[in-house]
Amino acid sequence: MAPPLSLPTTARLPSFLRVNPSNPSVIKVLSRLSRPSLLSLALDWLDPSNQSLCPPILRENPSDEEDEDDFESDLYPPAHSLGELREVYASMQTRKGSKREVVDRILEGDWREGLSLYQVAMADLQYLYDHPGTLKWACYKIHRLQTPGHEDDVDAGRSYDKIDKLSMHVPRFHPSTFLRNLQAEVLPDVKAHYNFDRPKGLPLLLLRIFVLDSPYNTDLAVSAASGSSSSAARVVTSFDTSRTIYVAFPDASPHIFVSKSQNAGPTTNAETRSLRALVVEGIPKALSRPRERYTLKSVNLQTKNLDAMLSLRGSGRGNAASGGWSVYAGDKTADARTDSPLNSLLPTPPLSDDTAEEDDKRVAYIGSQEATTTRKRTLDPGVLEEEKRHKRAKLVAQARFGDNMRIDDGKGIERVDVLIEDPFPIYATDVEDEDDGQDAKEARRGPKGRRNGVDASLLEAAEDDEDENPEQHRQGRDQGTNGPGDKRARTTGRQARQEEDRDREKWAWRPNVRLSLHGSHVFAGIRQLVEAGFIDGERMPGWMTGEEGVTMGAIRNGRIKGFRGSGL
Amino acid sequence: MAARPSPSPELSVGDRLHDEIAKLRAQVDSLKNDVRLQTATLMTADSTRQILQSQTTGARPLETSDATKLKLLARFREQSAHKQRCLYRACASLTTFKVNDPDPNAVDGGNVLGLRFELMSKAKFVRPYYVMLNRPYPDRRLLRVHRHTVPQCIPLSGLVARHLPLPTAKDDDDDDAPKKQDLSRFVRALRRELVRYHNRAAVIGDMKKAAGLSSKKIPDHESETEITDISAADAEAKQISLQWRDGRSGRLVMNDDGEVVKMVVQGVNGQDHETVRQFLGGAARVEEVTMSLENH
Repeated sequence: MAPPLSLPTTARLPSFLRVNPSNPSVIKVLSRLSRPSLLSLALDWLDPSNQSLCPPILRENPSDEEDEDDFESDLYPPAHSLGELREVYASMQTRKGSKREVVDRILEGDWREGLSLYQVAMADLQYLYDHPGTLKWACYKIHRLQTPGHEDDVDAGRSYDKIDKLSMHVPRFHPSTFLRNLQAEVLPDVKAHYNFDRPKGLPLLLLRIFVLDSPYNTDLAVSAASGSSSSAARVVTSFDTSRTIYVAFPDASPHIFVSKSQNAGPTTNAETRSLRALVVEGIPKALSRPRERYTLKSVNLQTKNLDAMLSLRGSGRGNAASGGWSVYAGDKTADARTDSPLNSLLPTPPLSDDTAEEDDKRVAYIGSQEATTTRKRTLDPGVLEEEKRHKRAKLVAQARFGDNMRIDDGKGIERVDVLIEDPFPIYATDVEDEDDGQDAKEARRGPKGRRNGVDASLLEAAEDDEDENPEQHRQGRDQGTNGPGDKRARTTGRQARQEEDRDREKWAWRPNVRLSLHGSHVFAGIRQLVEAGFIDGERMPGWMTGEEGVTMGAIRNGRIKGFRGSGL
Repeated sequence: MAARPSPSPELSVGDRLHDEIAKLRAQVDSLKNDVRLQTATLMTADSTRQILQSQTTGARPLETSDATKLKLLARFREQSAHKQRCLYRACASLTTFKVNDPDPNAVDGGNVLGLRFELMSKAKFVRPYYVMLNRPYPDRRLLRVHRHTVPQCIPLSGLVARHLPLPTAKDDDDDDAPKKQDLSRFVRALRRELVRYHNRAAVIGDMKKAAGLSSKKIPDHESETEITDISAADAEAKQISLQWRDGRSGRLVMNDDGEVVKMVVQGVNGQDHETVRQFLGGAARVEEVTMSLENH
């Protein structure tokens, strides 16, 4: 039979396209799954509704005797019916065995003719659900762009790639339209397979984009590179150079989470990064419609934890009220009742309640002390003092973090990078001279030589926000006109100090401090340190509570620049 | 070795005790709640105030209850302040309060103005929405949204840009005149958006109920024309997606105020204008559609 005619097209890869099961990347995709998930996957594939996408090999004619001979030497003889095959896999679920057994049965037995792209996608997604921390997600916010009022305006050369801040429109997302538009953005020499899925328990829609470097959308795309090298021992298929990228659309939130791309075979880092850039570029175009254009803007949030991402950028109320502010955002049903204005009971905010309790406890404690005189002797004032301090630290932690950032809340952010731009804290008695200024300049120039990815984005954040904070500049410019009388008018100590700081800003030594916090749950760790008394919770800057909702940022005056916490 | 629990429906002694304890605990909690409620009511009663004040002003000192009285009076003040606040909250739907930013580096000495939006949905007060504002610029009285609990489906950033504009970056200076911040307009617009959102969501809920979808019980007659699903199709609850048993699916788009903008039904063979006509029946508002559904 002649091979089917294949023409380069711009269509997407169909889900039923089969990949050779001997392909190492297919084997890899399957063998990294656990046995239970493999079996549940196989049962999913055997579902009657999935038969158009992933049919297993079955005997054509159950009564035919010749067939028996055909498969006599076969290790995994094909089943007669779907039901029978389902039973086989169901029975494997109940008994113990190795994972290898299942993989072999799938690849060499029931799907020996190849796994469809749909199956590969499902297996890949299953792995993602089993190991939620394997992908690093970056969050982007969808902004609407200004629409030119008239055709002539465009010709006048004015740039309309400005974010329409006045827009009262919340971007809406329609999966199939989006996909059709995204497909139009993909270049013709690249083929992609798309698969939408809704993970259980997460309010988001997951899109898996699987990219192949092939102009064909038929078998040629996934089989060995055509004719000429067929006899060669080393067969490279374009499947090996495939890359996968995930895009998550949280429900009711104008944000998009894009994962770093994974690749099946060896590809360079630059290549994967460019793919991601390509997708990030294509998504706003796919979301846009005539007279309704969108753009994506990074919100400096990167994490491996989708739960954490959703709590910071999801549809809930806690987006711009995390940390200690979460008391206002509480979503629990009990909160709703106590918060109603019809509730005549006195509110018991967590802190006041605790202090009352603490007093009670202390009274009870003293009472018990008097009862057990032996204990009283062992407790010297130092221990009591220690106890008190411990309680205080706990309270402070509660005040700063609210109910968030618990070590077991499953919303761990594993890395936080900050660039501190504040001048070195100096006391008024220290006199600086011009040399310090020189140092500062050098220090600022320093990092440009060796930028890595994080540094670059941090610096970018620092530069970005310059214009978001014009008042800061105004301050800088105005300070010459600020007479000493003005300064005397300031009343509060903190403000006076800030003014002085600003005066000194030009000459202050700004060491180039970059802070990188790593761990399974960075902010929970800080909370624990506060609770243990290693960090003074009252003097701790706000960004250490995670309430700014970013994992990268530049710090000026002790705050993350750009007022990130407001989520606007 | 303890005897294995028998598979009989009767629970073991331990389990029964656990059940009983749990029940008693719940009872204790509810009783405690009752006591608290009664105290609160008694505390705010006018007669209580009279008794308390007459005793403190009275010349006859009761040496035993002096401290108690003071405590009670303090409690009374607290309670009546709370009562007053609740009254304001229930009637005014927008109240303000002052918050102190715990961040030691907070702008403006940590002063934060809190706005509290009370909303009602399904004849109940929902948890209020909060918007916290601060003044980041020392020399000016410009406000900026600091924290908020407004859901993403409310275009808060657009409202802020309209009513609470901040001095823009240099390059934007040319095209806009000095804008003034208008807090009351901002608040009104935001409250309007919030109320409209809740009303739209409620309308969809009502429609569900009218179509008999909210109740768990299985309908006794299964007709072909029955609607099997009604749900909000977007975050802003402006679009309603409908599903019929025979595979038709439809989309009803309403505007901000709940007026029907358009409706499309996709049948097995193309668009189904007949269903649209039947379903809408000349209704201008979504509530009217719900009413006609109820009457069916």
